[in-house]
Amino acid sequence: MKLPAQQVAVLEAASADDPRRIEALAAETDHPPETVAGAAFELEDAGLVAVSEETEEEVALTDEGQEYVDDGLPEVRLYRAAVEAGADESPVQMGQVIGASGLAGPQVDIALSNFARKGYGSIDSGELSADPDADPDSDPEAEALATLSAGGSVEDGDVRDQLVSRDLVEVHERTIRSVTLTDAGVTELMAGVEAAETVGELTPELLASGEWEDVEFADYNVEADAADYTPGKTHVLRQAAERVKDVLVGMGFQEMQGPHADSEFWINDCLFMPQDHPARTHWDQFALDVPPMEDIPEDLMDAVEDAHRNGVGPDGDGYHSPWGEEMARGVDLRGHTTSLSMRYLSGHQVGDLEPPQRFFSVEKVYRNDTLDATHLLEFFQIEGWVMAEDLSVRDLMGTFTEFYSQFGITDIQFKPHYNPYTEPSFELFGRHPRTGELIEIGNSGIFRPEVLEPLGVDCDVMAWGLALERLLMLVSGFEDIRDVHGTLCDVEFLRDAEVVY
Amino acid sequence: MPVVDVDPDELRRLTGHRDKDDDELKDDLFGLGLEYEGETEDGEFQLEFAPDRLDRLSVEGIARSLRYHYGDDRGVHVPDTNASDWTIHVEDVPEERPYVTGAVVRGVDLDEDALDSLIQLQEKLHATMGRKRAKGAIGIHDLAMLKGETIEDADGVPGKSITYTGVAPDGDTFVPLDDDAERTPGEVLTEHPTGETYADLLAEYDSYPAIYDDIGLFSFPPVINGRRTEVSTDSRDLFVELTGTDQWTIDRMCAIVCYALDARGATIEDVTVDYADEGRELHRPDFEVRTKHVTHDRIETLLGVDLTTDAVVDLAERSGLQATAVDDGYDVEIPPYRVDVLHPVDVVDDLGRAYGFNELVPRYPDVNTIGGRTEDSRLERAVRETLVGLGFEDLLNFNMTSEAENFERMRLSPDDAVGQSPDGSGDTAVGAGDPATITEPYSEDFTILRTWALPSLATVLENNTHHSYPQDLAEVGFAAHADDDANTGVTERRTVAAVLARHDASYEDAKARLQALCDEFHVDLATPPTDHPSFIDGRAATVEIDGESVGVIGELHPEVIVEHDVEVPVAGFEFELDALR
Repeated sequence: MKLPAQQVAVLEAASADDPRRIEALAAETDHPPETVAGAAFELEDAGLVAVSEETEEEVALTDEGQEYVDDGLPEVRLYRAAVEAGADESPVQMGQVIGASGLAGPQVDIALSNFARKGYGSIDSGELSADPDADPDSDPEAEALATLSAGGSVEDGDVRDQLVSRDLVEVHERTIRSVTLTDAGVTELMAGVEAAETVGELTPELLASGEWEDVEFADYNVEADAADYTPGKTHVLRQAAERVKDVLVGMGFQEMQGPHADSEFWINDCLFMPQDHPARTHWDQFALDVPPMEDIPEDLMDAVEDAHRNGVGPDGDGYHSPWGEEMARGVDLRGHTTSLSMRYLSGHQVGDLEPPQRFFSVEKVYRNDTLDATHLLEFFQIEGWVMAEDLSVRDLMGTFTEFYSQFGITDIQFKPHYNPYTEPSFELFGRHPRTGELIEIGNSGIFRPEVLEPLGVDCDVMAWGLALERLLMLVSGFEDIRDVHGTLCDVEFLRDAEVVY
Repeated sequence: MPVVDVDPDELRRLTGHRDKDDDELKDDLFGLGLEYEGETEDGEFQLEFAPDRLDRLSVEGIARSLRYHYGDDRGVHVPDTNASDWTIHVEDVPEERPYVTGAVVRGVDLDEDALDSLIQLQEKLHATMGRKRAKGAIGIHDLAMLKGETIEDADGVPGKSITYTGVAPDGDTFVPLDDDAERTPGEVLTEHPTGETYADLLAEYDSYPAIYDDIGLFSFPPVINGRRTEVSTDSRDLFVELTGTDQWTIDRMCAIVCYALDARGATIEDVTVDYADEGRELHRPDFEVRTKHVTHDRIETLLGVDLTTDAVVDLAERSGLQATAVDDGYDVEIPPYRVDVLHPVDVVDDLGRAYGFNELVPRYPDVNTIGGRTEDSRLERAVRETLVGLGFEDLLNFNMTSEAENFERMRLSPDDAVGQSPDGSGDTAVGAGDPATITEPYSEDFTILRTWALPSLATVLENNTHHSYPQDLAEVGFAAHADDDANTGVTERRTVAAVLARHDASYEDAKARLQALCDEFHVDLATPPTDHPSFIDGRAATVEIDGESVGVIGELHPEVIVEHDVEVPVAGFEFELDALR
């Protein structure tokens, strides 16, 4: 029969009446022990050899044990120092003996407790007496340690247990495997066994020549670790943005796009934010050092100013705040992408829109905030709005319930809130899967008439701004936004982040 | 958002619900939108709420809202007012702060708690409606310490008057609160801590706001009152005055203060505001109840529920409003302390809150629309996916950066040009050009919008030298330049940048990937040699796609690599995303 070369070697080296250890076979066949063991098991499966196992105890010195072999047991060193100091005749101050012994730290306690246990002497009132009849030269523990160090074994169980309890030796169990030829093995050997050729790699030549039919493929260790491979990967926040876009497109939303740098008119004034609103100071937004925006439709500018000053409708009141074009024309980095919604709703982006409409964007916004685990100066806002006749608060809630359920989030909470640009308004909260904390994930509402009428919209528009990063936190449980967004990002963290789908 | 400190015992006393425990109170407050944030050392609740209901900036206002919430009070309450014999005479006021209002309040019973609450209300109103006292500031005085000038009205009826006027910075002196020296207003601004805090408000004033009685200067709004008229727990009658830049605003602030004192059993009396220069008189405080008309249909469509007329009237009364059914809806009376009600839609919100928004059942709107993405957004995704397929790790960096990161650390200056001919002309180097600058930067790390993305990738390499290589990074993102011809003053564009950092990174590696990317989008790539300060001379090329110069590719200059503490060679490229269209 043909067998792989290492199995042939093991079969030939094994004996029918003399069980041979794997190690011995390895030495004889010049194969590593794991290869021999593998071959032996293969042969056993084929019924050609028997593999027997027995366990053997191996007693080995610990580092501490080896130290005592070299320096002597602490209690012996103490005894010798005591005798040196004359403690075998009259008690000596303990401190003096310890000092003379050279023992330090925990060894002192070890020495004192074993000194008394072994009857080397006694300690009384801080004085130490040595028993002149004690014989540390034949200390059984010291002898056992020396024997072990020399490669011998310790037969006395009590001594061994004592050494184990002092952590001076460790006992391991080892499995010894021995191989014996079976009758079938003997028969096959007599019939003749030859080694099959083994090859490491399948080559184009082997395939072309047909030689692959006659060769044995060497076994790989298929469980071994492979080298690290770093795949290209879409940024985890971009993946989340893509997922959100997919969901919103599926819900019938069209995507918006527009400038990051925009006039305060589109960012704030259209949103009915009074010009002396605290959030419109440079502390909260980033103004750009560029000329004021000239091209803003005059009629729209007038309508927005009128809404601020006088309100809209027969019973409407305006703000009692200053309002000036100069401020409206100043250019800032957008603090929300609602500036895009204003541009679209006004008809100046893609022409006049007739209801019903749904629009969204997942784009960056800029806010001057204190940096921490959940706040960056730049983040992604999921902006969205629905334009239709007679929209209600229930429609708003239903849209969010549906949107978040697409991400497996079914416990959204709505809290009545105040925004200058929506009424009624709601903050949205969700629960962090790891910390259990309720975190604010967005803000929403139905646009006020003071927002819509100047834009020329005469039906209802419900709108929201959600934080993409917060949604990702709820979905994936990550906790520090700084690891992913910006130049301080940790490349390894991004590589390890779980894929969002 | 405003936070007020409220003593729960005061709340129990003022609502008459002495049996409510702290947890019940917290739940009831949450129902009103007042969130419990914690407690002060004295055990007062710290309550946070949205800045619309400024009438809730005091324990008295919160108690009033709770009583409506519990159904103990209903409808609109307006305090009775008697006419006092006091007048605020207005003459020669600083033009920047022309308006004043006020009230006389009698029979107050101010214990320490009530006085603290009054002071807190004053401060919170300053911080919110008063826009840090710029728009409106409140002064409260012990009436017993005021000596009015004796006047007669047109009918010969005698009365008392104080005068709101202007004073020269180095004019009359008075002893301000928390002080014991006579000072001029100018000295207060430089020598008194409160004066220093508010000095900026008066920076443009030639003459300073001042209020006099028969004895002399006693108040220096919006900065500080005089010590003579300081209110204490012994004060029984008060004079409230407010000055500001808008009459409506200070009248509303005045109403909120008067309602709080009314809740403690005080009597409010009218004062006459005599704008002598204009020959115009006002009677204040202004407790006018406004009316807004809201249709029944709008209430039902906005809330999405059917309601009976009686139910609407009931919800209004429980909101502290008074609704009367007329025609197609209701005339709803709004009490004077409700500064947030601008439009009938605000009434609907109140009705919704009284109904309980959490009682509403969500429903998906029956509106059919077709969804879709923009072409730009689809292109961006396709390029990002292709880069990932080429083995790049997709990154996301900040669009705001610093001059140092964007230019200097890349050996680049905004003026750099490439391909310079002897006459000095040449194209702007990729990344060079004027950046859009942030006017008042908050941090020196974020002063401009980035003009290109390679510096961001270089900085990521710098921050990740402890991780394994290769580090092949790419970003499809935003870049911008200042541009006076653009409507926003900024030209924004989308850019594709990539770096290969590894022990054997070379120009060829970068070009192989760029070539593959261009092939995927069926565009023609050419790479004529160029020079660029960020790259090694002789190893840099212009990225020319379909004949247009759109970017740069090369091996990063060793000085740039070392500057970023990177110890392996780096090759990379950057070009305009739209070139792949």
